[in-house]
Amino acid sequence: MNNICILDNGAYTAKVGLASQEAPQLIPNCIMKAKSERRRAFIGDQIKECRDASGLFYLLPFQRGYLLNWDTQKTVWDHIFSPDCCGINLSEKTLIITEPHFNFHSIQEALTEIFFEEYECDALFRTTAADLSALHHLKSNTVPADCCIIVDMGYSFTHIVPYVKGEKIKNAIRRIDVGGKVLTNHLKEIISYRHLNMMDESYVVNQIKEDVCFVSSDFQRDMKTQKLRYPENTIIQEYVLPDFTTVNRGYVKKPEGPAPEQQTIKLNNERFTVPELLFNPSDVGIQQMGVSEAIMNALDSCPPPVHHVLLENIVVTGGCALIPGMGERLQTELRALAPDDMEVKVIITEDPVAFPWQGGRVLCQSTDFSEMILTREEYEEEGVGASIEKFDP
Amino acid sequence: MTSRESHRIKDAEKKRVLDEAARQRRARKALEALEQDNFHDDPHADLVMSKKVPKFHDNLESGRTRKTKRKGAEYYRAKYRKNFIQLLEEDKAHRPDPPNYCSAQAPPSRLPQRHFCAVCGSCSNYTCTACGTRYCSVKCLGTHQDTRCLKWTA
Repeated sequence: MNNICILDNGAYTAKVGLASQEAPQLIPNCIMKAKSERRRAFIGDQIKECRDASGLFYLLPFQRGYLLNWDTQKTVWDHIFSPDCCGINLSEKTLIITEPHFNFHSIQEALTEIFFEEYECDALFRTTAADLSALHHLKSNTVPADCCIIVDMGYSFTHIVPYVKGEKIKNAIRRIDVGGKVLTNHLKEIISYRHLNMMDESYVVNQIKEDVCFVSSDFQRDMKTQKLRYPENTIIQEYVLPDFTTVNRGYVKKPEGPAPEQQTIKLNNERFTVPELLFNPSDVGIQQMGVSEAIMNALDSCPPPVHHVLLENIVVTGGCALIPGMGERLQTELRALAPDDMEVKVIITEDPVAFPWQGGRVLCQSTDFSEMILTREEYEEEGVGASIEKFDP
Repeated sequence: MTSRESHRIKDAEKKRVLDEAARQRRARKALEALEQDNFHDDPHADLVMSKKVPKFHDNLESGRTRKTKRKGAEYYRAKYRKNFIQLLEEDKAHRPDPPNYCSAQAPPSRLPQRHFCAVCGSCSNYTCTACGTRYCSVKCLGTHQDTRCLKWTA
């Protein structure tokens, strides 16, 4: 266990740690440049050293969910595996790394080359975060099932992946191009038009999203509530923006307290219309199904005898699963769409962000793990093509 | 007899109205904006950084042995420089049959699109005649015309 490293390489956070550890380290997978600090850039978790995060400029390795900016990624990985960060020396270790579904061949080749040549790994196992989540869910003792649907709500997009008897049904995978990034950008646009221009403040708006947004359990009712005046309007909240001298992170102001010195904005219907994009992407003109409809659509591509098992094992992972109310809303919508003789159970895992990483730990314990990996000998024999033969037959 | 004409009709004829193509262009731009990483320029763009200069805490000897072995970030950028469109084209050649990236995309919803006021966010019943943006009340239409309508037509 000490010689296996698991890297769930997300587009927004990388989850990394040895299989012997209890939990992964969460590291922002990006390089950030601040206006206030012109001598250096902040790589990954170095951002905690930054005192003034206003107008933060992002360099992201991922574009549309795929690893495209290799120089950025290499710099971040160099930092992650350096003694300053988590200090894992990859040489002579086995690495489990995640990639998006339907990853492109040249990206897979590059991954293989980098980890064998640069970081001198002993062996490599390339998989998807949903595969690890499914393994984690199916192997955990409390659920005696062999089928499940993984809903992975990430930063770049949301994937719905059904597993039947432990096997992924590739034909039934559905992708919705809405993720945390779209939500943040949408909220940023709304705030910039209605309140203050915050188009440069992705970092702050992301925190606002995490602090105030929720998934509405009854959209029409909440739409009516938000039109009322304050005491009856239970939705409106005043948010205190950080000024980076006395307040480093924004917070929701208590209704009765005195007015703070910092700037505040009043957030009303944006609190729930923003996460609503996951359920209705057409609200901003993305002509795709919402999550619940897409789950039913994916189900249609699965063999009918297992439909009832799949509906009882819907596991939601990824950063957007943390938005309050997500589970309840999915449960009610799916209950309405599913056949009435079948049970529906939506499971939001305890730690949706680290759930796939924990699945990596489960994977290490399986007996045939040593046969699944691509070893250094195989790589040296056949080159980068070997990884594609091994993991995507 | 020009003075007896309705001023409202005369004004309405002078107004510029965006055609369907321009409206679609606007919608596409709004969607692209949702995918953007940054809306401002690199704050360090005008700085000239010299990476070669050794820093105080750098250990000279260990630095030298490592450099010969490692290829560095630049090498990988040069070798795997491909944008998303190129990769998608390549993928179409590799995996022409579904399941692939394109087939996995969720199909359009069967439910009708909902409309929200572009100004206040409430449910909207009306469309701006000039640009096609949705609004909910005369008050919001006024705000829209003063701030956004045809103001940034590109």
